[in-house]
Amino acid sequence: MADLFSAGLKALESAGAKFGDVRTEERIAYAIRMSNGQIENVSQVRRTGWGLRAFVDGAWGYASGTSFTPAELAAAAKRATAIACANAAAGVKKTSLRGVPSGRKTYQAAVKVDPADISGEEKVALTRELEGAMRGGAVSSTLGLYNESSIAYELANTAGAHVAWREVRVRLAAQAIAQEGDRQEMAFDAKDASAGWEFIRTIDPAAFGREVGTEAAERLQAIKPPAGLQTVILDPDASGLLAHEVMGHASEGDEITKQRSFLSRVVGKRVGSALVTMYDDGTFPGAHGSIPVDSEGSPAHKTTIIDRGVYQGYMQSLETAGTLKVRPTGNGRAQDFGRRVWVRMTNTYFAPGRDTKDAIVEDTKDGVLTKGWISGMEDVVGGGFQAVTQSGWIVKDGELRERVRGMTLTGKALAILKSVDRVSKDLVLSGGTCGKGEADDFVPVGAGGPYMRAQVVVGGG
Amino acid sequence: MDLLELAPDAVAKARARGADAAEAYAIRYATRHVYIEDDVPKVAEDRSEVGLGLKVARGKRVASASTTLAGAADVAAVVGTAVRGLGQVPEDPDFSGFATEGGRGEVAGVYDPATADAGVEGLLEAARTFVDAAKARKGISVPKATFRLQDYAVRVVNSNGVDASHRGTLAYAYLTVKHGSGSNVGEGVLHGAQPSLKAIDFAALGETCARRAAENREARAYTGKLTGVAVIDPQELGALFLQSVGGAVTAQNVQKKRSPWAGKVGQDVGSASVTIRDKPRLPRGLVSCASDDEGAATRDRTLVQAGVLKGYVADTYHARLLGAEPGNAFRRSAFSLEGAYARPAENHVSNLVLEPGVKSLEDLLRGVDRGVYVEKFAAPELNPISGAFACEVRNATVIEHGERKEHVKYALLTGNFYDGLRNVDGIGRDLEPVPSFYGTPGCAYVPPVAFAGFELVGQA
Repeated sequence: MADLFSAGLKALESAGAKFGDVRTEERIAYAIRMSNGQIENVSQVRRTGWGLRAFVDGAWGYASGTSFTPAELAAAAKRATAIACANAAAGVKKTSLRGVPSGRKTYQAAVKVDPADISGEEKVALTRELEGAMRGGAVSSTLGLYNESSIAYELANTAGAHVAWREVRVRLAAQAIAQEGDRQEMAFDAKDASAGWEFIRTIDPAAFGREVGTEAAERLQAIKPPAGLQTVILDPDASGLLAHEVMGHASEGDEITKQRSFLSRVVGKRVGSALVTMYDDGTFPGAHGSIPVDSEGSPAHKTTIIDRGVYQGYMQSLETAGTLKVRPTGNGRAQDFGRRVWVRMTNTYFAPGRDTKDAIVEDTKDGVLTKGWISGMEDVVGGGFQAVTQSGWIVKDGELRERVRGMTLTGKALAILKSVDRVSKDLVLSGGTCGKGEADDFVPVGAGGPYMRAQVVVGGG
Repeated sequence: MDLLELAPDAVAKARARGADAAEAYAIRYATRHVYIEDDVPKVAEDRSEVGLGLKVARGKRVASASTTLAGAADVAAVVGTAVRGLGQVPEDPDFSGFATEGGRGEVAGVYDPATADAGVEGLLEAARTFVDAAKARKGISVPKATFRLQDYAVRVVNSNGVDASHRGTLAYAYLTVKHGSGSNVGEGVLHGAQPSLKAIDFAALGETCARRAAENREARAYTGKLTGVAVIDPQELGALFLQSVGGAVTAQNVQKKRSPWAGKVGQDVGSASVTIRDKPRLPRGLVSCASDDEGAATRDRTLVQAGVLKGYVADTYHARLLGAEPGNAFRRSAFSLEGAYARPAENHVSNLVLEPGVKSLEDLLRGVDRGVYVEKFAAPELNPISGAFACEVRNATVIEHGERKEHVKYALLTGNFYDGLRNVDGIGRDLEPVPSFYGTPGCAYVPPVAFAGFELVGQA
C-alpha cells in the first residue's frame, strides 16, 4: 500500500498540484431484510477503491478507481491535476488551505464485539425475532432490517500526513403497516450506533418489534392534527430535524464562503431564545455520525453553533477554514473514495435543558406533541423549515389526549427558535444519512436533541 | 480484459462450489462530474468503477454478495462469500428459480456515443451555457450547480442460460441560482436528466431557474386558505407520482400488503382521463432496457386504463407468485449508476408514464377559475401508504379566472394524492422525465396536471 500512496503523491506534486491527498477505502457491509415471516434478502457487500485529489489555486481535480496499481494512481494524479489546472485557469477565486494535517496516526474503532465475528445465523435469528414481534392484531405487513458496515480508510497527503482509521456501524430497524378496511397506517423506528455487536445486545428485539407493531395499530385511530400556528412540543426527532436541516445546513462553511446561507452574517447575533444551544459533534460517543477524523484527516471536533441563543460559528473543511481564516473543525467529509469532499455535518443537536417532558406537557394548555420523523428538507437560502413527523398527540389542559396522524411542521427557523420557552433534560440522537441537497451524495449523520416547546406552523394529516 | 466477461465465470464457479443456481450482474461505468461554485467550475471528478453482484441458490435457500471487480481473484472471493451465506439463511418456500427468458438488444436512444465521449470538457461547455443563460437576467448568480455524465455497460448471466447485455449513457444536472444578496434573496432550483447531454436544454434551464429565483424573491408569504385547482409542475409532480403510484403498482408491495392498490384490479383508482403505463422500451427513456437487472426480457404494459387499475409490474420472484409477467427488477437509480451492483435487484417501475393530454401549460392554466400553479415545493414528499401530504410551497403563482396573479411562497399545499388522482381536472401535453431520487430505481414521465380538491394554506 505504501507504494500506492507514494506513486500517487509523487505524481500529484510533479504534475503541479499545490496540495494533494490520496485516500483508500475498503467497505464491508452486511444486510438482512425480512418481511411477513420470510427472508427478502441477505447480502454482503465489499466495495474497495481509491481516490485522489489535486488542489491548484482554489480549484480541485478528483480522480478515482478500483484497480490498485501504482501506474493507475500515477495516471489518475495527472488527470486530476490537469482538471484542477484547467478550472483554476477558468477564473476560480484563489483560496488557501488552513490547518492541513501533517502527522502520522492510526485510530482504532471503539468496538468491543466485531459484528463480523457474529454468525449469520445469529443475525438472521435477531431479525426474525424483531419482525415476528410486530405481527398480530391489525398489523398487516411487517419489515425487519439489520445492517452493519465496517469501513477501513487510509489517507496520505503531500504535507506528510498518513492517517488510518476504521468506522463500524450497526442498525436494527422495524416497519409495521396496520390496516382497517381501506385505511392503512405505518410506523417505523430504528436503533443505530457507531459501535459493534455490543450495541445490538442492549436491544430487546421482541420488545422493540411489539412497540412498533402496537404503534402502527394505534395510529389507525389517529385524527387529523390541528392546522395553523400551534404550540408544538417537538420530540427529539423533530428537534433534530430543525437542528440538522435548517440550522445545520446553513452553518456549513462552504455555504458561508459562497454567501448562500441565511446565516452568513449572524455571528454574535441572537438567533434563538436563551434556552437554545446547538452543537455539531463528531466526537459524540457511539452516535451514528461520529468519526475519528474527517475525509481530509482532520480530527473530529465539537463545534458550538449556538450558545444560549447567540450564534457562534460554522463548520469547516481545510479550504473553508482557509477562506474564513479559522481552524478546521473536522467536517470535510466525502461519501466514498470516488466522491468530492464537502463541508458536512456529523452529529447535530440541540443541548438539553432542565425541564422534564412531563412538566412541559403539564404546562401546555393547547398544543400538539410530535412523535417520530419521516423526512426533512433544508432551506439554506431562505431559512424555512419543513419536516414531516410520523405521528403525535393533541395536548389539552396539560394532558395528552387524542392521537394525531403524521404532520408537516413548517415556518421560519429563527422565528421558531426565538419562541422556544421550555426545553427538557433529555438528549436523544437518531441516525440517518444526509445528502446536502444533492440527490446521491450521502454521509452518515446523527441528529436530535431534547423535547422543545415552540410556536410552529402545523399542516397535513 | 473486459471485466464484464467475468460474469459467466462467476456463475460457473458458484455452481462448482455447490450452488444449484446462480445469477451474476456485472456493471462497468465511468463518471465525469463538474461542480460550479460562484459562477465558475470549482471541482471536477473523473472516476470509474467495475462491480459484480452475485445471487446464488441451493434448494430454497438464496444468498447474495457483491464486490468491486478488479480481476479474477475478486470473483473467487465473492463466490466464496455468497456460497457460505447459503449455510446461514433459512429456506424461502416461495423461491422457484431465476429468470428463464432473457431480453435481447438495445432500446433506441439509450446509448449516445457523443455523451460517452464528451468528457469533462463537454460538461464545462454545458455549465457555461447554463451560467450564461441564468446570468443574462440582472441580479442573478450561480452559487451552486452540478453537472454529471455517466456511461455504462451491464451484463447479466444466470445458470438458466440467460445472458443479457446492454449499455447506456446518462446526463444529469442539479441547478441552483440566487437572485439578490444579503437578506433579500430568492432561489431557483431545477434538475435535468436525460440519456444524452444534447437532450438537455441548458440555456432554457438557466432562463427558467433565473426567472424562478427572481419570482421567489418578490413572492409574498401566502396568507389565508385557498381551495380550488392546483396545477403542479412535472418536476414536483413526478416525485409525488413515483412515491405513491410507483410503489402501489409493484407486485412486491401488493404481495407484502404494503400497497393501497392491493386487490383493486378492475376498480377505479383515477379519473377517466388517467392512463398510466410502465414503459421499459420507451425510446430515449432514462430506465429503458431490453432486459432488466435479472436479465429478464422487459415489456411495456398498461397499469391504469381510463382510471381503472389493470395490473402490476413484477420481478421474477413476484411474477411467479402473482401469475404476472416478469421484467421489472432493477438495481440502479434512473439518474446514477453509483453502487448499482451492491444493491439487490428488486421490484420497481421502469419509466412510469402518465399519458399526456392535449393542452399546453398555458391552456391548462387558462382553464383554472381559482387555484394555484406550484412550480417548486421545499420537498415533494407524501405518505406512500395513505397518500396524505402537506408540502411547503417555495415557488407558486395564484391563478384567478385563468390568469396568473401574484407569486406566493411559505404556504402548505395539502391533500391526499390518491384522492387527487380521482379528481383530475386536466392533464397537460408535455412530458418531462423525473428520476426517483435517494437511490431508488424508477423514473416518472409526467406532464403538468391540474387537480381539484387540494388546499393551499398560508403560514401567516
